[in-house]
Amino acid sequence: MHRYKFVLYRPLQFLPVLFGISVITFILVRLIPGDPARVLLGTRATPEAIARIRAQYGLDEPMLAQYFYFLRNLADGEMGRSILYKIDVLKLIATRIEPTLTLVLCSVVLSVLIAVPVAAIAARNQGRLADQVIRIVSTFGIGFPPFWLGLMLIILFSVELAILPVSGYGNTLSGKLAHLVLPSLTVSLSLSTVLARSLRAAMVEGLKSDVATAARARGMPESIVFWRHVLPNSLVPTVNLLAVNIGWLLGGTVVVETVFALPGMGQLLVRAIFSRDYMVVQGVAMVFACATVLINFLADIVTVALDPRVKL
Amino acid sequence: MIAALLKVTDLTVVHDGDGGERTLLDAVSFDLAAGEVLGLVGESGSGKSLLCRSLVRLLPSSRLRISGGSITLSGRELTTAPEAEMLAVRGGEIGMIFQNPSSHLDPVMRIGDQITEGIRFHQRLDAKAARAAAVDILAQVGFPDPARQYDSYPHEFSGGMRQRAMIGAALSSNPRILIADEPTTALDVTIQAQILRLLMDIRARRGLSVILVTHDLGIVAQVCDRIAVMWQGRLVEIGEKRGLLAAPAHAYTRSLIASHPSLPEEDMPAKAEKLRTPGAVPVVDIEKLHVRFATGGLFRRGAVDAVNGVTLRVMPGETVGIVGESGSGKSTLARAVLGLTPVSSGTIRFDGTDIASGRAVLGMLRRQTAMVFQDPYNALNPHLTVGKMLAEVLRVQGKIETAQIPARCGELLDLVGLGRAFLDRKPRSMSGGQCQRAGIARALAVDPKLIIADECVAALDVTIQAQIVELFRELVERMSLTLIFIAHDLAIVRNLCQRVVVMHRGVIVEEGRSEEVFSRPKHAYTAALIAAVPHIDPDKPLLAPSKMATPQADGVAN
Amino acid sequence: MSEPLAAPALGRKGRFRRRGTLAAGVFLLGAFVVLALGALLIAPYDPIAQDATARLQGPSWLHPFGTDNFGRDILSRVIWGTRIDLKIAVIGVIFPFLIGTTLGTVAGFFGGIVDAIFMRLVDVILAFPFLVLMLSIIAILGPGLASFYIAIALVGWVSYARLIRAQMLVLKNHDYAVAAVSLGFSRMRIMFRHLLPNAAAGSVVFAMSDAVLVLLNGAAISYLGLGVQPPVAEWGVMVAEGQAFVTTAWWITLFPGLAIVTLAFAFSMIGDGLADLFGVHE
Repeated sequence: MHRYKFVLYRPLQFLPVLFGISVITFILVRLIPGDPARVLLGTRATPEAIARIRAQYGLDEPMLAQYFYFLRNLADGEMGRSILYKIDVLKLIATRIEPTLTLVLCSVVLSVLIAVPVAAIAARNQGRLADQVIRIVSTFGIGFPPFWLGLMLIILFSVELAILPVSGYGNTLSGKLAHLVLPSLTVSLSLSTVLARSLRAAMVEGLKSDVATAARARGMPESIVFWRHVLPNSLVPTVNLLAVNIGWLLGGTVVVETVFALPGMGQLLVRAIFSRDYMVVQGVAMVFACATVLINFLADIVTVALDPRVKL
Repeated sequence: MIAALLKVTDLTVVHDGDGGERTLLDAVSFDLAAGEVLGLVGESGSGKSLLCRSLVRLLPSSRLRISGGSITLSGRELTTAPEAEMLAVRGGEIGMIFQNPSSHLDPVMRIGDQITEGIRFHQRLDAKAARAAAVDILAQVGFPDPARQYDSYPHEFSGGMRQRAMIGAALSSNPRILIADEPTTALDVTIQAQILRLLMDIRARRGLSVILVTHDLGIVAQVCDRIAVMWQGRLVEIGEKRGLLAAPAHAYTRSLIASHPSLPEEDMPAKAEKLRTPGAVPVVDIEKLHVRFATGGLFRRGAVDAVNGVTLRVMPGETVGIVGESGSGKSTLARAVLGLTPVSSGTIRFDGTDIASGRAVLGMLRRQTAMVFQDPYNALNPHLTVGKMLAEVLRVQGKIETAQIPARCGELLDLVGLGRAFLDRKPRSMSGGQCQRAGIARALAVDPKLIIADECVAALDVTIQAQIVELFRELVERMSLTLIFIAHDLAIVRNLCQRVVVMHRGVIVEEGRSEEVFSRPKHAYTAALIAAVPHIDPDKPLLAPSKMATPQADGVAN
Repeated sequence: MSEPLAAPALGRKGRFRRRGTLAAGVFLLGAFVVLALGALLIAPYDPIAQDATARLQGPSWLHPFGTDNFGRDILSRVIWGTRIDLKIAVIGVIFPFLIGTTLGTVAGFFGGIVDAIFMRLVDVILAFPFLVLMLSIIAILGPGLASFYIAIALVGWVSYARLIRAQMLVLKNHDYAVAAVSLGFSRMRIMFRHLLPNAAAGSVVFAMSDAVLVLLNGAAISYLGLGVQPPVAEWGVMVAEGQAFVTTAWWITLFPGLAIVTLAFAFSMIGDGLADLFGVHE
């Protein structure tokens, strides 16, 4: 089990990244032209509120000092108040995590469920019709804009077939899941094409590899060669690709949540940008960044579990 | 001879390309008796690996097919057998092991499970019985603690142990024939001897027939009963080994035997020693050199001493060989001498000047030394033609005038025996030997005092090896070069170098005149190294049997 | 295997498929370039002229792609949109490519402290989901195409830099790089003349798939209302405008979306073709 010791000390290695994230989010907001107090509180702020925020964030002091105020507030779990919703930013974000998290999870699971069989069919029929069709379809699939694909799925499933809700989010578990089917499908149709292409390439290599040759020379039938040797070896690079694409996936939720009016963090970000609710923009960006770091950490654990050679 | 176990008659394999068929195996016929060891030799591209794969119908590309001939295994025809029957033949009747155990073992599957897989599939044992059988096999192939090592992964073992595991996997289904395709080429010479001994033990114990593919005539001379020689897809000669080695019939076999680098006899006359001016300044003077590499990450810092206190002098005009197995530090030493690797402590003087004393000295070093590398393809920039490559070196070095550069490029190619037509060729369109000659031409373009050749013939066929070694000998004579020649092949060093340095784990264990060191080794490691070289004379057996087959030096890597 | 087992040159069929993919991609992209350059001549209507008499008409001979709620001709708007979206893809790739390649080459070649600092910066930027960071920057700079270009130059170079750096780390340990050092070649010569040409193939291929991503992101940002502003004809904007009528007038959203998919397909095919041609694995 010593291979998993990194789980304990790895988080220490995140410190520089977390520090960088805090610097970037801090700078983002300070770059906005105008009086920072007015920027943070909006144009209709009272003089008292402005005085309070000046003190809290040290807005009259030099930049470096301001950054330390920012960190101190952060340590207190204090990320300011939303102008639009009039509540604490972190509390606001907390109410928005669930739809986004569920959407991401469903999308990843769905993508893997699509990508693995599709890649397997393509790789095992390399060069034949099935492979060609999958290649062309996946080349197209990469270019599908999620916002448009979402609308097309709405037309098909909600308007024409009328079997799934158009948009919004339910209250019960089944209601929520029903509302998540189309958004997850939208995300995973794009993601699974990327995964399937990479997985197919790894499987094609794997089928030609020395490992496969050796297994065949031991009299193993193709099915064992594929499922026991080729597939496990192909999964490692695919998990890495999935980890690399996590940032892209989380970003994609912003668009998809807007299309389907899902009350998640992405939708919150877009609304906040339009209403110049910069405290919320800053908070959402930071939470998204920390989530990416966390997910990459999880991917590291999965990689170590899949590949005994990897040491972290 | 008893009836043949395997009989191959006029086996022909063709490649279906756009330009029509190309014959890769041309009417190959031979047979293999029960318990016999047949050696299959030939250069790369001669079709020996393809022949092995054809026997079990595992052709490496769908464009290849068996177009004629027959393969019969105990009277059963294999070329037309249904695929389901071939599954039982592969592994069950004919097992295979390969050159590179690291790439042929599944890296994400436990060693034991890779053996169990065959047992369960072919013998239909349940999981528990299969595991017991696999542990037994691991013990047979020399794993000291098989029950525990069953659960280890391939990367946790050294190359030699991995090859043992692969042999175990091949034995798992009790085959009657074992095809071993260059099983020891990737291994150090002492490990090679152990693996060969293991193969012979197993063959004796199980009455296996073995087809041993190799490029090393020494190995076939030592372990085989008969030898088959392949050349350009044809089996040009086959016969009992003593007869064939003593009186080769085919011209290719003769050149193969002539090219084989052998350690000469003890009483061979000493080489004419070059006159050495007393008090001359050594070209290279290394004192107490340490090169340490950091390992591990932030939380597991460590260091290995690749070179651990080496003191060595090389005089002008000398040819010094450095031998040692992988990991002995010989390549690191070479790179340190050329200022390509930072030194941890100690000094290196080139022509009397400490190379650590500034950029100017380093610049001087760059203009007076050159290196020749192991992998001839990797050593040349794939984007440049040979002519452009040489011209660039000449221009940067600035030793001759620009107008003379094209003429000089031509001369350099003459020197290394490449035609001038090669000026416009790119590495991809050249053979390994040609690339290596181009690499030597690049080294000569510097007009260096010192050339360091790092395993520069290891990747080449034997006949090409002999040519390149001959080229070095000529160049050293003609241009009064100082040469440091690094190799793991003792015979080549013995033939080329006046002085030899034996390295082991970062230190020099022995040095001296070549004939002296090779005939009367003082250090036990040198002796073991020399004893492990398979001799082309079948009557000079490889090591005493008692010393072999025990994996001591070759234990678990971690 | 001890010897290269018959690695014959690619057959005619295979060669045709490689070149065919590349040629088809170039042809398709060329068609879009022609549309963009000749929009004035090719488009049957003015892309922003409203026509109250022709609102929300389905596809017909007069309006092959139909009209929107202002009576504007969708076909003409799609053709004019080519100008903007093609520009987004090209400009959005060129700056990150140049910045990333230069930084990645230097970091990978020199290693050490330069590389360590560089990699930390890359880690931090990569920690932010691409679109989230883009949107945050645009939030500060204000909506518009100029903000989009600035944001993508600030964020997009990271992928190129990482790719080239990884290549350089491998290549600089190749024997020919070591040989170049031992022959006294200058660092600049080794870096840009010997290593970069061998490392660049991967980034050129990546640039094509990146063009797809940039196109999708540019359109998405416009769709969200933070990029190109109406009434300019841009495909993402058009999809957003059609969203309200998605149940009644599907053609308003369908055709601009198909245009994006087709342009993306052209870039993907060029990328695949180049990958085959250079022998690069993604």
